[in-house]
Amino acid sequence: MKNRELTLNIFRYDPNIPGREPYMQPYSLQETEGMTIFIALNQIRENQDPSLKFDFVCRAAICGSCGMLVNGRPRLACKTLTRDLPEVITLMPLPVFKLIGDLSVDTGSWFRQLSIKTGAWVHSDKSFNPNCQEERMSNETALKIYEAERCIECGCCIAGCATANIRDDFLGAAGLYKIARFMVDPRDERPEEKYFDVVSSEEGVFGCLGLMACEDNCPMELPLQVQLAYVRRKMALIGFRV
Amino acid sequence: MNTIVTDVLIIGAGLAGERTAIEAANQGLDVIILSLVPPRRSHSTAAQGGMQAALGNCAMGRGDNPSIHFEDTVKGSDWGCDQDVARLFCETAPTAVRQMAYWGVPWNRVAAGRKRLPGGQEIYELKEYEGLITARNFGGTAKWRACYTADGTGHTIQYTLDSIVIKLGIKVHDRMEALRLIHNGDKCMGVVARCLRTGKLYTYISKSTVLATGGCGRLYGASTNAVINEGSGMFLALETELVPLGNMEAIQFHPTGLVPVWILITEGARGDGGYLLDKNHHRFMPDYEPKKKELASRDVVARRMIMHMRKGYGVESPYGPHLWLDIRHLGEKHINTNLREIANICRNFAGIDPVNELIPVRPTQHYSMGGVRTNINGAVYGIKGLFACGEAACWDLHGFNRLGGNSLAETIVSGMIVGKKAAEYTLGTELTYSYQQVNNHYNIVRQKIKNIIGGKLNKKRHENVFELKNIMEDVLMKHVGIFRNGKDLLKAVNALQELYHRSRNISLRSSGTGASPELGLALRLPGMIKLALCVAYGALKRTESRGSHYREDYPRRDDKNWLKRTLAYWPEEKDLPCLKYEPVKITEIPPGDRGYGESPGKGGTS
Amino acid sequence: MQFQRIVTGKIKSDLYYDLIELFSGLFLAGFLGMHLIFESSIIAGKKVFNNLSQTLDENYLALAGISLVVVVFFIHFLTAGRRIPTRCKEQKIIWHHTGRLRHLNTWAWVLQIITGIIILILGSIHMWVVVTDRPIKAETSALRIQSGYLWFYVILLLLSVVHAGIGIYRQFIKWGWFPRKPLGYVIGFISIFFILLGFTALFTFLRAGGL
Ligand SMILES: Cc1cc2nc3c(=O)[nH]c(=O)nc-3n(C[C@H](O)[C@H](O)[C@H](O)COP(=O)(O)OP(=O)(O)OC[C@H]3O[C@@H](n4cnc5c(N)ncnc54)[C@H](O)[C@@H]3O)c2cc1C
Ligand code: HEM
Ligand code: HEM
Ligand code: SF4
Ligand code: F3S
Ligand code: FES
Repeated sequence: MKNRELTLNIFRYDPNIPGREPYMQPYSLQETEGMTIFIALNQIRENQDPSLKFDFVCRAAICGSCGMLVNGRPRLACKTLTRDLPEVITLMPLPVFKLIGDLSVDTGSWFRQLSIKTGAWVHSDKSFNPNCQEERMSNETALKIYEAERCIECGCCIAGCATANIRDDFLGAAGLYKIARFMVDPRDERPEEKYFDVVSSEEGVFGCLGLMACEDNCPMELPLQVQLAYVRRKMALIGFRV
Repeated sequence: MNTIVTDVLIIGAGLAGERTAIEAANQGLDVIILSLVPPRRSHSTAAQGGMQAALGNCAMGRGDNPSIHFEDTVKGSDWGCDQDVARLFCETAPTAVRQMAYWGVPWNRVAAGRKRLPGGQEIYELKEYEGLITARNFGGTAKWRACYTADGTGHTIQYTLDSIVIKLGIKVHDRMEALRLIHNGDKCMGVVARCLRTGKLYTYISKSTVLATGGCGRLYGASTNAVINEGSGMFLALETELVPLGNMEAIQFHPTGLVPVWILITEGARGDGGYLLDKNHHRFMPDYEPKKKELASRDVVARRMIMHMRKGYGVESPYGPHLWLDIRHLGEKHINTNLREIANICRNFAGIDPVNELIPVRPTQHYSMGGVRTNINGAVYGIKGLFACGEAACWDLHGFNRLGGNSLAETIVSGMIVGKKAAEYTLGTELTYSYQQVNNHYNIVRQKIKNIIGGKLNKKRHENVFELKNIMEDVLMKHVGIFRNGKDLLKAVNALQELYHRSRNISLRSSGTGASPELGLALRLPGMIKLALCVAYGALKRTESRGSHYREDYPRRDDKNWLKRTLAYWPEEKDLPCLKYEPVKITEIPPGDRGYGESPGKGGTS
Repeated sequence: MQFQRIVTGKIKSDLYYDLIELFSGLFLAGFLGMHLIFESSIIAGKKVFNNLSQTLDENYLALAGISLVVVVFFIHFLTAGRRIPTRCKEQKIIWHHTGRLRHLNTWAWVLQIITGIIILILGSIHMWVVVTDRPIKAETSALRIQSGYLWFYVILLLLSVVHAGIGIYRQFIKWGWFPRKPLGYVIGFISIFFILLGFTALFTFLRAGGL
C-alpha cells in the first residue's frame, strides 16, 4: 500500500477554444502519507501541468467548491484520501453544471439561479427595530433550521441525480432541501401557496423519482430523503387545500 | 476594453463585502460585488466558533455589556487597537447580531434549566431569557459572549447575508479578480479585473470602491486560511503608492492546526479537556502554565508549544516537527457527539481516528490583524473614494492580537458602518473620470500580462512561479513565525528582497491563455512578496513584543517607544516598504497588564 | 416568468399525475399479489382453484375486476410511462450516467423502466389470451402452460414482481413512509416469497395431469 505510484486520468477540455475536442490525460505521481485529491492535483499543477483547471477554496469540506467525479462518483475532492482509492483514479467534472474548463464547473451560478427561482430568503413584512430585543425562538427550532441549512451547495446531489442530468429545470435535492429550510423557519411568513407555486411541479418535488443518488452522494450526509419526503407530503396537502 | 459602470464597487463577497453592499444598496445606490469565487464559497464560511456581541442572555454571560466587551478587546489587542473604533464596535455588535437574526440566522437560543459544564460546574439558565440568543465561551473574554449557530456560525451568517444580497438584486460578478485599482493620484475610480472564466480583462468604473478581500494567510506555508486568502486587496492598495498598510507584522497563530493539511482544530478540543503531549507522550503545558494549562490564551499556548519543540520534544515527521493533541480520554461518546466536527476532520483529512489515536498538531498561521489602513469610517488613508473593511482592513479593532469571535463581528459591524459611510460619500460625489486615465491603468495590466506570457525572449532568467511561491512561504514560516529575532528577520528580509527581484523574471510554462491558473498566480505573486516584506520588515523594525508579535531579543512590551502603529508604504521603484508610524489612540483604558499573559515561571520538562 | 406560463397560471396537474401514478402502481402491485395468491390455490388442488374462479365469476367480481385491471393497467402505462426518457439524447445520458455512477437505486430505476416496457407487451398478450378464453379453469390454464407458455410466465412473473417491488420501494421512499434500509429488506423478502409462490404454482400446473 505504501508509496504507490498513482495514475490520475484527468478530463481535459477548454470550452473557450473552439474546435478542440475533450480528451483524457494521464498523470502519474508518487503517493504520500495522508494524500488527498487536493494535494495530488496541486502537485500535478505545480510540477507537471500548470494549465490544469480545478477549484479549491477551503480545502476542508466546508465551502463546497471542489465537487468532481472521482472514479465516476460525485465527491468533494478535498476530503477524498487517495489511500481509499485504487491506483488508477479517474477525475471528471461534475455533470449538469456549466463546464468552465477541465475539472472546474460553474456551480455558483447554478445555485444562485436556484435561490432566485425559489425565493430563498426569509420573506417577512416586519421591519427591523435596532432598539428592540430579538424575537424569541426555541432552541429546538433554531437547531432544526440550522440542520436544514447545512447544505454547502457543492452540487454532488445534482450531479448524481439522473433526473437532473436530463432535465435542465429540475431543482434537485439541494433545491428542495433549501425550500424545506424556509418552510421550517417560523420567521418566514410566506403563505403556503407560494411554496406550492414554486415546487409542486415536475421541475420541483414531483419531478423527483426517489432515486436517492442525492442522499447517497451528499458529502455532508444530509438527511435528504427525509426532507424531500417532507416537502412532497406538504405539497400534496397544500395541493388539496388551495 | 469591456467597461462596466456603477455607483459602489465592492471587491470581495465575504461577510464584510456583502454586509457593506447591503448597506449601500439600501441607500438606493447601484452596487456591484466582485469576487474570486461565488460568495458562499468565501473564506468567511469556514468560521465555526462564533461572533462576539455583548447580549448577556446566557447564564455565563449575565451582566455583560459593551463596556466589558470593550475592555476585553483593548486588553486582547495589547493596547494596540484604536479605542474609538473598539468602542464604536462594541456598542454596535449587539444590533448587528440581532439584525442577522431578523434576516434569518438561526442563532442558538437560551434553553432554560440546569446544565453541567464539561468542567463539572453547574449553571442555571433563567426562564426569562429563554428563546433569546445564547453565547459560548471563547478565549480571553470575561463573559461568555460568542453568539453561534452550532458548529457552522460563519456558514449560516454568510448564507443569510447572501440571501439578502440576492433578495435586493445586488449584482455579484463572481470569478472576477480585481488586479489593479484605477486612480488619478487623488481619487479611486474603480478597478481593472480579469475574468477567471475566460481570462478577459474588464474595467469597472465606480464613484466609490470598497476593499473587502479578506486576509493574507496564504503568505505562510502552513495556514488555516482558505487557499484564496492571498491578500490581494492589500497589495492592490499598496501598489497605488499612496495607501499605507497598518501593522502588517501582527500575525496571529492558532495553536492547533492539523499536520499536514493545516486545517483548524478548534479550541473546543482543549476546552472540553484535551491535552497537548510531546514526543514522550508527556503532558507539558502544566509545566509552563500551571494555572491555565492548555487553556491559556492562544498566543501563549502557541509560543509554549514552539518553545517545547525547540527543546527537542517535538515529534519528527516529513512535514517538520509537531506535537500531539490527545482527546482519547474524553471517550468515544463525547468525541463522536460533542466533538463531532473535529473527529470528522481527523478522519477525513488525515485518516486518523481520534477515539484511539493521537492527533498531530502544530501552531499555524491563522489571522492577519494588519491590512489596508483606514480611519474610523473605513475611508482608506491617502486616497479618496476608496474604503476597506473586514480582515483586509486595519480599521484597527484588533491591535496586535485579535480576540476569537471578534473578527466575524468586525466583518458585520464594519460592513454596516463602512457601507453607510461609503454610501454617504458616493451620494455626495460625481462620477468623473477621463478615458485616458482608465486606459492607462488598463494598459499597465495588459502589458504585465504580455510580459509574463510573451516576454520570454527579453528575460535573462526564467523563474518558475510555483517555486518562488514555495520559497516565500518557507522564508516566512522559518524566520517570521511565532518567535522572532533580529537576526532571523534580517535574513528573511534579505531573502524576500532577492525573491522580489526574481519575481520580475517569471515565465510561464503553460501558454497562459484563457483563464490560466498559472497566469493568475504569476500576476499575484509579486504583490504577495511585497506583503511578505511588509510583514518581515515591520517585524524587524518593531523592537518590542506586543500581542502576537513576539521578539525573543525584545521580550517586553515597550509603551514608551512603541505605542504606535506601523504604516508601510511601497514606492514603486523600491524593493522595500517605507515604514512610517502613527500614535495609537488611547481614550479610555491606559496601557496596563493584559491579565492573561504567560506565567513568569520558565517551566520545562527537564 | 414567461408569457405562456403567466397565462396558464398555476397547475396542479403534476400533483395529480404523481398521485395517479402512485395509486395505479399500488393498485397493480396489490392486484399482482392477490392474483398470485389466487393462482397458487392450484397448489391446494384443481378443485379449490376452479371453485374460486367460479365464485368470482358468479358474483361478477371477475368481470368487474378484469375490466378495472385492464383500465388501470393502461392508465398506469400512460402516467408512469411518461417518466421514461424517450429522446435519444436523454437515453444516452442515462446510460452514461448510470454506468459511471454505479449506484444501486439508480440502476433499480432503470431496471424498472425496462421491465415496465416488457410488461406492457407481455401483460397485454397475457390478458388478451386469458380473457378471450374464459371462464378460467385449472384445466385450460394447465394446458396453456404445458403447451409452451411456461417460459412466457416465468419471464412475466420475474419481471412483474421485480417491477412492482422496486416501484413500491421507491414510492415509500418518495413519500417518506418507511426508513430506507429496513424497507429494502422487507420488500426483498416479500418479492422472493411471491416468486417462489409463483414458481410452485407454475410447477403444479406443469405437473397437473388429467387433461
Ligand atoms: C479556520 C478559521 C476559523 C475562524 N473562526 C472564526 C470564528 O469562530 N470567529 C471569528 O470571529 N472569526 C473566525 N475566523 C476569522 C474570520 O473567519 C475571518 O476573519 C473573516 O471571515 C474574514 O471575512 P472577510 O469578509 O473580511 O473576508 P473573506 O471572507 O475572506 O472574503 C474575502 C472575499 O474577497 C474576495 N476577493 C479576494 N481577493 C479578491 C480580488 N482580487 N478580486 C475580487 N475578489 C477578491 C474573495 O473572493 C472573497 O469573496 C476564522 C478564520 C479561520 C481561518
Ligand atoms: C386482466 C386480468 C388478468 C387475468 C384474468 C389473469 C389471469 C391469469 C390466469 C388464469 C393465469 C394462469 C395461467 C393461464 O391461465 O394462462 C395467470 C397467470 C399469470 N398472470 Fe395473470 N391475469 C391477469 C392480469 C395479469 C397481469 C396484469 C399480470 C402482471 C403484469 C399478470 C401476471 C401473471 C403471471 C406472472 C402469471 C403466472 C403465475 C404463476 O407464476 O403462477 N396477470 N393470470
Ligand atoms: C403497462 C406496462 C407498465 C409500464 C410501461 C410500467 C412502467 C412503469 C414506470 C416507468 C414506472 C416508474 C415511474 C417512476 O419512475 O416514477 C412504474 C412504476 C410502478 N409500476 Fe409500473 N409499469 C407497467 C406495469 C406495471 C404493473 C403490471 C405493475 C404491477 C404489478 C406495476 C407496478 C408499478 C409500481 C408499484 C410502480 C411504482 C409507482 C410509481 O412509481 O408510480 N407496473 N411503472
Ligand atoms: S445537499 Fe448535499 S450534495 Fe447536495 S449540494 Fe447540498 S451538501 Fe452538496
Ligand atoms: S437522486 Fe434525484 S430523483 Fe430525487 S431522490 Fe434524489 S433528487
Ligand atoms: S475545497 Fe472547500 S469543500 Fe473542498
